[in-house]
Order: sequence, then C-alpha cells, then structure tokens
Amino acid sequence: MEALDLHCQLILEQYRESQSVLQQMKEDVLRCLREALDHSGLIVTTLEARVKTEQSLAGKLALKGGKYATLEDITDLVGARVVTFYTDDVDRIASMAEQLFEIDWTNSVDKRRLHQLDSFGYNSLHYICRMPGYDFRFELQLRTTLQHAWAAINHDTGYKSGIEIPHEYMRRMNRLAGMLEMADDEFSRIRTELADYRRRVQKLVRNGKLDDVLLDGDTFRSYLQADPLRKLNKRIAAINQAEIQEAPLTRYLRVLKELQCNTLGDVDRLIKRYEDDAYLLARHQLGNTDLDILSSAIGLQNICIVCILSTGGGKIGLERLFEALNGHNSQNGALAELTYNQARNLPFMQHDN
Amino acid sequence: MTTTIQEDGNQLIATLAGRLDTAAAVATAEAVKPLLEAQGKEIILDCSGLEYISSSGLRIFLSIRKEAAAHGSKVIVRSINADIRQVFMMTGFISLFEIQ
Repeated sequence: MEALDLHCQLILEQYRESQSVLQQMKEDVLRCLREALDHSGLIVTTLEARVKTEQSLAGKLALKGGKYATLEDITDLVGARVVTFYTDDVDRIASMAEQLFEIDWTNSVDKRRLHQLDSFGYNSLHYICRMPGYDFRFELQLRTTLQHAWAAINHDTGYKSGIEIPHEYMRRMNRLAGMLEMADDEFSRIRTELADYRRRVQKLVRNGKLDDVLLDGDTFRSYLQADPLRKLNKRIAAINQAEIQEAPLTRYLRVLKELQCNTLGDVDRLIKRYEDDAYLLARHQLGNTDLDILSSAIGLQNICIVCILSTGGGKIGLERLFEALNGHNSQNGALAELTYNQARNLPFMQHDN
Repeated sequence: MTTTIQEDGNQLIATLAGRLDTAAAVATAEAVKPLLEAQGKEIILDCSGLEYISSSGLRIFLSIRKEAAAHGSKVIVRSINADIRQVFMMTGFISLFEIQ
C-alpha cells in the first residue's frame, strides 16, 4: 500500500484515539436496533455491527483521503447491518431506523432504486445515520437474505479487489440478481397471501361456515382457538375431579385426515357425533381409578378411538392411530390391544363384530 | 422407589424403579431435580423397573416435560409396563410424551 500523506496520517491518528468511542457507539447502535426489533416482533436473520479496521481505513484514505477534511467526514467508521427474510421488512426496518436515528439523507442511498429499468445488480438500502450523543455518523445496511447472499458472493469473487470484472461474469451475476429479486418479491407475495388466507379462514370459522374451510395445519389451529373440545374435556375431568394440562393437538391433524375429515365441518361433525361415546369410554377407563390429572388431548384422543372402533377399524386402526400420535414404535401394538380390550363391551363396539 | 441419573453424551438417563405413588413422590421429585436444569439434552426416563405410577408421579413427569421444553430439551419415556401404558393412555399423556 502507498504511504499515506500527512493529512491522512493525522486522520488515522484521530481514528486510533477514537477507538473507545467508536466501539461504544457500535454497542449502542446494536442495542438500540435489537430493542426496537424485539419490540416490533420482526424476525431478522442477521443483526451485526463492526468498527472499521485500521487497515481498511488506511486503504480508503490511500484511495480518496483528500475527500475527507476530518475523521468525522467518514461515514462508515461504524457499520451496522440488518438482514431480513422479506423485502417488505427492509422498508419496515428503514422506517424504524428513521425513528431511532437522525438520517443524513444527502449521503444515504437506496441502491434498490438506482437501477435502470433494464439493469440488475447490488440491491441494498444504505442509510447514513447519527446516533444521539455521538459526533460520528455510521452506516446502516438493510437488505434481504437473498440480497445479502448475492452481495457476499459478489464480494468473495473479487468485486472489491479493484480488478476489472469480465463482462461475461458481470452479466451472469446480474442475471442472478434479477432472479433473486423475483424470488424476493415472490416470498413477500406468498407471506401476504398467506396472511390474507388466515384472516379469511378465521372469519369463516367465526361465522360457523366450517364446511367452506379445508382442513390443514393453519385452519385446524384456527378451529381449536374456539376450544371445541372444552365441554367434553370438562365432562371427562369431572369423573375424578381432575385437573387438565394443556397438550398440543397438532399431531391429530394426520389422524383426522385418515378419518376422512377434509374440512373443518367434517371435524366438527366428528366431534359432535362421537363425544358422548368418547365420554363413556373415559368414564369406563377412569371411573375405577383415582387419576386426577389429564391432558387436554384426552377428549380428541377418545373421539378418534371411538370413531375407529365404531366404524370397524379394530386393533389395526387403533395401532395406526397410536403410530400417528407416537411415531412408529414397538409399544403401539400393545397399546392398541389394551385399548381394544378396555372398550370391547361398550355400546359403540357393536359394529365391530 | 429408587431414581438414578446418568449422563451419556447428549443424553441424561433417569432410571426409575419401584412404585411411584404419593408416598414416593416427594423424594422422587427431589431426585429428578438435575433433569430440570438440563440444557438442550435428550432426557430419557427409563421406566423398565417402574411398577406403578400415580397422579403424583404423572405430575413429576409433567414438570420434567415443562422444564425440558423451556430449556430446549426433549423427553422420551422408555420401556413402560402394560399398567403404566394404560395410565398414559387413559389420561391422554400419550399425546404429551414420546413413548418408546
């Protein structure tokens, strides 16, 4: 590297003397961003910051030292970066940064908007910010994971080394940038449409139009929010004045599908049809015990058992149920046998001959 | 009722033997305390020597599960006998634990 002139050496000396301030500013910027992100509930893939190294600063001064009158004129001594999943979140975090910091609009640049209609390449939002209480400014880079991957690979392949990039290589990198831009937009669209879908489903569930809602993980969760098994669980708990512990019911999704439930309406009818028999099974099992703790899955578990047995599914059907709940293991057969024997004299078993 | 805990790599194996009834619950709850502090480990409750479990015992299993979930650990209940299997089924606890 070329020897620095006196002016640049003075800036470098000022940099060394400012190390502790720059380190403190870096920590404060990180803390500030972290708190704001936590508060907003936004999920990001990366939140990081660094103080420019002396070597990097010396390189910058060697190239364009005359541009800077003092150390304060250099705006990226501290750099922070937030990487998001979605393009929409870049804008949300930008607006968050505008509330947190004083933005130097003259020096900030939205690289996403710099491209011509027919060009693609580095995409990122760069804000030059000032943190209250500090004389130095810092650079905040906001980008998506895909933009970050492109930038990192582009950097790795020599972009910053000063070597002229061969046209063919540049063209291929830019083609990728265009493709990733499309992928980013599509991810954002999918998120928005999924949120719309969930809102529509919740409205249909609220309005009781359960036959219009296909059964899937999302819709099942929405349906369970109305606590449709509460009454049955309370009846079962009353047998031994038991307490009920919350249990996840997501494992039952697969079981319900195997029981031919295609819509939430099918699930609702299944519950209504078998809840009395499910209670009878629980009373038969628990009545002679002093077990006074139950999982909230007990109601749905017994409904599934009763449905399988009353439709002739027998021990094999029960074993499949336990496989769906427990995964494949050697205990499932024994559990099916046991359950079958417990239920064999109950009224709903008359179909299983 | 006896409870012993062994560490094996990323696993904490608690071997429970005897009758886990109300009388044994206090001592057992004390004995399993190291499991409640396990961070990110797989907790195996080896029940091959467990003859009986009451509601008090189920509450201990539940507290292990709750703490494990809070610490990013996983609980596996292993080798339960037919009577205990029946208790797990009747109470809906088979939906709370992975049983092997």
